[in-house]
Amino acid sequence: MSATTYGDEARPRVGFFTDTSVCIGCKACEVACKEWNLVPDDGLEWTGHSYDNTGELSANSWRHVTFVEQAKPMRIDGETAAVDALEGDHLAQGSAAPLRWLMESDVCKHCTHAGCLDACPTGALFRTEFGTVVVQEDVCNGCGYCVPACPFGVIDKRHLPRSPEDAPLALPLLGRKEDGRVWKCTLCYDRLKDGHEPACAKACPTDSIQFGELDELRERADKRLAKLEAEGWNGPRLYGRDPDDGVGGFGAFFLLLDEPEVYGLPPDPVAPTRHLPRLWRSTALAAAAVLVGVAAAFVGGAE
Amino acid sequence: MLAEISGRDEKGQALSGYKLLKADGSTSCGCWIYCGSFADGVNQTARKRPHWEQSASALEWGWAWPANRRLLYSRASADPDGKPWSERKRLVWWDPQEQRWTGTDTPDFDEEKRPDYVPPDDATGPDAIRGDHPFIMQGDGLGWVYVPQGLVDGPLPTHYEPHESPFENPLYRQRANPRRQQNKDLREDPYNPVANEPGSELYPFVATTYRLTEHHTAGGMSRFIPYLAELQPQMFVEVHPDLARERGLEHGGWATITTARSAIEARVMVTERMRPVTVGGKVHHQVGLPYHWGQRGLTTGGAANDLAHMALDPNVHIQEVKAFTCDIRPGRRPRGPRLPQFVAELRERARR
Repeated sequence: MSATTYGDEARPRVGFFTDTSVCIGCKACEVACKEWNLVPDDGLEWTGHSYDNTGELSANSWRHVTFVEQAKPMRIDGETAAVDALEGDHLAQGSAAPLRWLMESDVCKHCTHAGCLDACPTGALFRTEFGTVVVQEDVCNGCGYCVPACPFGVIDKRHLPRSPEDAPLALPLLGRKEDGRVWKCTLCYDRLKDGHEPACAKACPTDSIQFGELDELRERADKRLAKLEAEGWNGPRLYGRDPDDGVGGFGAFFLLLDEPEVYGLPPDPVAPTRHLPRLWRSTALAAAAVLVGVAAAFVGGAE
Repeated sequence: MLAEISGRDEKGQALSGYKLLKADGSTSCGCWIYCGSFADGVNQTARKRPHWEQSASALEWGWAWPANRRLLYSRASADPDGKPWSERKRLVWWDPQEQRWTGTDTPDFDEEKRPDYVPPDDATGPDAIRGDHPFIMQGDGLGWVYVPQGLVDGPLPTHYEPHESPFENPLYRQRANPRRQQNKDLREDPYNPVANEPGSELYPFVATTYRLTEHHTAGGMSRFIPYLAELQPQMFVEVHPDLARERGLEHGGWATITTARSAIEARVMVTERMRPVTVGGKVHHQVGLPYHWGQRGLTTGGAANDLAHMALDPNVHIQEVKAFTCDIRPGRRPRGPRLPQFVAELRERARR
């Protein structure tokens, strides 16, 4: 949704096009985001999920690089598979299977129809003049209604990290360990105001994260997809580019190399508030039925 | 600051390159290789012209010392007559009209030296290098495959196995570099039995150490920074599923890696990426070890360097941490004085 209430101050809608086909998994986006936005660390837990120790987007991780190791070739023409098999001559039996290592830098989608924004009762969440969705941390009261309203599980209450050695419910730390508000990517609203691109896009060494006006990014993504398809890449597709999907299209969309589920993304996200009109219609119908019933009782009683 | 380093002439004007520097004190310069980095009073290093608006050498993207030259020995991209070997990949060439070298890059060659220049017998220094000899930093201007002096293990390049390799040299009888530096008398630096020596079967796997992008060298800085430490918060060891099955290693569990020097522990990462190699018909498994951990910092863990030996390359004196042999077993390592005992036991068994 472009910002319609800003009048002359409205700016073209901006966003990210994250092209995972060139992501090298360096996590510079995660670090740059935390440095710029003063996001605390998210705990020192080793997950064993390939090189991903962030796990998921959260109040303390606004960029998250997913790593997926797959027994699939990069190209569907089998060229890479053939190269792998060739190398396999020098490898052990059974180890010549094709292998690809997918990496994807996930982020808040800045939905056109944002469930979090619809659910927020305080106005802490708002649509900026750039068409992005931002939390005002000085307004948020921590009610948490937005948390289940996000179909991607992006927005989250901040629980400051505990180390594994912390005693459970260490009383002197209680209260200082909980922030109580919700946090997520702001698309670096402060940087946009000063004409800079967001910190993650600035830091990305391969331009996997591309920042720009959404219309232009969609054109660029279409061209990139056509190129990868022509080159025979295995499974390229755009995710969140379609303005007619369940959230009205993402402000931050992706080029993936496999099904969204492979990256831990919902295949058909829908803003829960999209169901509200239907829910209200059912409620109204039920209310009308009750009224009719009550009226009928009175009419019947008069007999 | 950069303007001062780049240098000025007697009138205070910015110098465009180091060739304008004079020995009579009339010019100033902080460091000759950076001379010209502030040419025309412009910070040349801050230029960000996109590559599609200029030649493939992208001379207007930043600045490279010396003289904004991007490729060394680029004279070699042209044939002896000064014509590019390949038009598609041309870098520098001799322009007969202008009587000088030109190209998409700053030529790494005396720009006025003709391709057919032959030095007189009494020539010295750069003047003694022929017009068709591109390697101008060598005394004779030639690239060397045969190196009669300088390299202590020359004169010809060859293949040696690492000091601790599980197999013989497939090329010839000399297994490892005969000039490698060894600490044969150093008690703290014993070696595993290698190749077909008795006892080598107790250290059957190839260990290799490497970096993760999240950490810097042995982690002395990055382990103390929360934003980096959280991204790779624990020492782990990468093994192929076949090796994991062979040794009973569990993904996410602990493993102890042992050499004659020491034993360290690490969390197990089972991955198809760590492929075994087949040499001489025998499968050799690799044990992958990031080397970023140690005893201090927000995240601590086993130091892969503790496992390495000190057989050094004879020219640059670097130890062979990229390839040595080891054993790997499930479970955590012994603690305290039992650790050196544990290491010594395996070492003694291998010597018997």
